[in-house]
Amino acid sequence: MFPKKNVVIVGILFLVVINIIILFVSNRRQFSLYGAERIGISIVAPFQNIVTHSICFVRDMWRHYFFLVSAAKEAENLRRALSCAIEKNNRCVEIELSNLRLRNLLNFRKSIANQIVAAEVIGKDPALWFKTIIIDKGRADGVKKSFPVVVAEGIAGQVIDVSNHYSKVLLIIDRNSAVDALVQGNRARGVVTGESTGRCLFKYVLRKHDLSVGGAVVTSGLDGVFPKGLRIGRISGVIKRNSGMFQKITVTPYVDFEKLEEVLVILNSPKHEFVSKQ
Amino acid sequence: MTYCFYAGICLCLIIFQTTIIPYISIFASCYDLLSMFIIYLALYRPARESIPVILFFGLVMDNISGGPFCFYIMSYFWLFLWIKAAIKLLYINNRFFLLFIVASGVLMENLILFGVAVILETDSQFSEAFSIRTVSVQVLWAILTGPFFLMFFSKMHNGWNKFKGLIAGDNGQ
Repeated sequence: MFPKKNVVIVGILFLVVINIIILFVSNRRQFSLYGAERIGISIVAPFQNIVTHSICFVRDMWRHYFFLVSAAKEAENLRRALSCAIEKNNRCVEIELSNLRLRNLLNFRKSIANQIVAAEVIGKDPALWFKTIIIDKGRADGVKKSFPVVVAEGIAGQVIDVSNHYSKVLLIIDRNSAVDALVQGNRARGVVTGESTGRCLFKYVLRKHDLSVGGAVVTSGLDGVFPKGLRIGRISGVIKRNSGMFQKITVTPYVDFEKLEEVLVILNSPKHEFVSKQ
Repeated sequence: MTYCFYAGICLCLIIFQTTIIPYISIFASCYDLLSMFIIYLALYRPARESIPVILFFGLVMDNISGGPFCFYIMSYFWLFLWIKAAIKLLYINNRFFLLFIVASGVLMENLILFGVAVILETDSQFSEAFSIRTVSVQVLWAILTGPFFLMFFSKMHNGWNKFKGLIAGDNGQ
């Protein structure tokens, strides 16, 4: 009845339209898929957990065992006493570093005076364009959606999906992330959003505020997710255009997201219930 | 049984991509490894067998990624359709065809992503220079490693079929 070519074109157009509709519908956060959005995490995360722990185990073996064995062999060739000292020194440095890191985390844990749970990063986002991580704590540990995730250096992100024992965390450097923030010095307000390059943009800061490179940006607490006063990053660039209400500010996060291994999830952060008016 | 094989391969690729690759700095801009398996399915397997795998692992990738939900299902689906169409138009046994297919597959996945970003968002776009550089590196990686992945999948599948045959033979006796 219709030429085959026309049927193919109409079919493709129909598929494209269906795709766009599905994307719009699924992109709305109110839309629930009755747990389908957690299937992947439940399937993949246990394996990620095993592989990550295996990698850590092998790495620790390499660092602590093989390295020491090679050091011992080298020491035999030189002087036994000196090798013992080097070995001891190395071990001390390792312990000192881990001690410092854990002490830092513990101090930070005390300082935020919130109920928190420590979690390990077991997987990263498969796509380069999105910045999320999978952590090994979930609903069973008291973690819920939109709980803030922090480390000693500053805020890391917020929980966006939770399964029983694992959660997905949206990092602040993701383009979809937005954190209400203040400049610590002059209290200029704005919103810190992620950028694909691993830095953040500090948006909606009025031109009247004088900001300088190096200034600290902290959370304002007004977004209902992060407690007030947590460190986000430092200002690394300020561009004031001749026109427009706002200035363009780049923020470099304090957290090194490439080396993120352990995080803290704040369980009792300030909650604001938003009820829509009928 | 074949679906078990597909599930095993896909799971290994996802785990490798999310837990091991981040530790290797040289692969910092590596492409989506699962897309190579989708290309393999489109090139060598029937659609009836491949589509459930594409939909299921698209859903799994959507779950573990921070991208818009349904992005992976759609991009894998369109990638599959594109390869199937390309097979009909081009000569499959040509070596350059494979290079072209893997490069175009990775490029297509990224273009779909940018398309989705344009459709869903208005203010936050990808940095142009960063995007061009990253996509170029990904395409280059795909050209260098993609055909080897396809060969590997093919060998694995043959091995799996032999294994299945052995089991069937044992049961027959």
